[in-house]
Amino acid sequence: MKSKQFLSLAAVLVFCAATAWSADIKIIANSSVGASSVSTDELKAVFLATKSSLSDGSHVEPVLEKDGPAHEAFLKEFVGKTDSAFETYYRSLVFTGKASMPKTTASDADMVAYVAKTKGAIGYVSASAATAGVKTLEVK
Amino acid sequence: MNFRVKTILNMAVLCATPLALQAQFDFKVDGRDVQVHSFASQGFAYSNNNNFLTMDTSSGSFAFTDGGANVSSQITDKFRVGAQFYIRNIGHLGNWEPELDWASGDYRFEDWFGIRAGKVKTALGLYNDTQDMEFLHTWALLPQSTYPTDLRGNTIAHIGGDIYGTVAMKKVGSLSYTAYAGRRPSDMQGGITYGLLGAGIKLNSYGGTVEGADLRWTTPLKGLMAGASYINLRVNEDGTRLSNLKPYTVDTMKDHTPVYYAEYSIGNLRLDGEYRREIQDVYKTGVGKTGTGVGPAGTDARSGFLSAAYRLTKWVELGTYHSRYYPNWDTIHSLPANHLFDQVVTARFDLRTYLDLKVEGHFMDGVTGANSYHGFYTLDNSTGLLPTTRMLVIRLGYHL
Repeated sequence: MKSKQFLSLAAVLVFCAATAWSADIKIIANSSVGASSVSTDELKAVFLATKSSLSDGSHVEPVLEKDGPAHEAFLKEFVGKTDSAFETYYRSLVFTGKASMPKTTASDADMVAYVAKTKGAIGYVSASAATAGVKTLEVK
Repeated sequence: MNFRVKTILNMAVLCATPLALQAQFDFKVDGRDVQVHSFASQGFAYSNNNNFLTMDTSSGSFAFTDGGANVSSQITDKFRVGAQFYIRNIGHLGNWEPELDWASGDYRFEDWFGIRAGKVKTALGLYNDTQDMEFLHTWALLPQSTYPTDLRGNTIAHIGGDIYGTVAMKKVGSLSYTAYAGRRPSDMQGGITYGLLGAGIKLNSYGGTVEGADLRWTTPLKGLMAGASYINLRVNEDGTRLSNLKPYTVDTMKDHTPVYYAEYSIGNLRLDGEYRREIQDVYKTGVGKTGTGVGPAGTDARSGFLSAAYRLTKWVELGTYHSRYYPNWDTIHSLPANHLFDQVVTARFDLRTYLDLKVEGHFMDGVTGANSYHGFYTLDNSTGLLPTTRMLVIRLGYHL
């Protein structure tokens, strides 16, 4: 009985930890983006420049943070690359003519301000950041 | 102007402007963002035996400079244009002749279908289209078995068009494809021209058509990508034998190369591997001692490498690779002229986000032979080639 309770508690703690990790960041988008949710595959494809629109047809432009915990968490959870590998990936596109370097912001506040004023912009901020003027997308 | 002074001045010009700006250079034209990026590198190579890549490495050589700059703009959501120029001086290669590296218009109809036309970098294997950009790689020199610096002109780009796209396959990952056709620009500053000069032949033209495809699979296993490429070349060489002014020509009957590659990344570790087999049948005129020989010549060249790189910290990465090249598989492999193996160890230091320094050791076995034009040339090794070469390469690079 006690081991069953222990296992249940452990399962709850693991679930909470996973949920907490996902809850460290929020995905935000300009109000011109029609979708209210985005899949993890779509998000990865958008930020790796292999996809330029969401499933509802909204054209999107990825925006990055220069560095920081939200940036690290986003890359780890949704892109699957380290910061160094991600920068190398984008530079390989830029220097072979396949893409432009995405806009980079210095902070959550700068990210929100830029996404709010830029049509199609999609980015990420820490979960506690104020997001007035932008819409938050649910990640499926 | 003294060659060393010219080297220093060109390097200074390549470095000075963007370093002064200390930022990627963006501006607007008619409300559209225009980006300007640049890169440059300066290297030093020293070998104990044999001179490598047309540099005087046995005395230590700083003739190891390259750089470039590009400008691009996303005109509409689906259409972008851009161009990049490139310049290099590596031993007797490049000779500071600026060239248009790529210049293209790119229209992306859908995520799964786009077209690109102009002078386009060729998708072939892991690194063909990025081989000039040292800052993108752990290594000071990419595996020369597969990405020979002296022969980059053979496959680096084509003047023509591509179709490309990425298809998401849900639980099976995604597939990215590129298919292309066009003409290869004539690389008169490359290893083929220089090597033939050592054989007493002045090349007047060197080019031909090219077509091929690349398919890469981002697998459902996180961090694993696998791919395959295929390239088919037609090579037409036209030259003059300097001793008797008789013509020298090469026309390709068959020259195709399948390539297989994979990359696996987990955390700060990256593992890469690639294998190529180039099967070539050509018809030559003006060959042999008297320059009157004609006839077919065929080779089956095989090459590949395995590499591992690990990023220790944000500013230090260590790596190693083993590279193998056989210019003609149907020969005795153990002879130095019939192979080139290279075991390499590298330390990369990212001194700033825009500045990197690499220190690299090469432990080479074999010399591929004077007529394979792959790293070792008779013009630079007039007393003959020794079977092994140890070489130190140091390379400083910037990019913005």
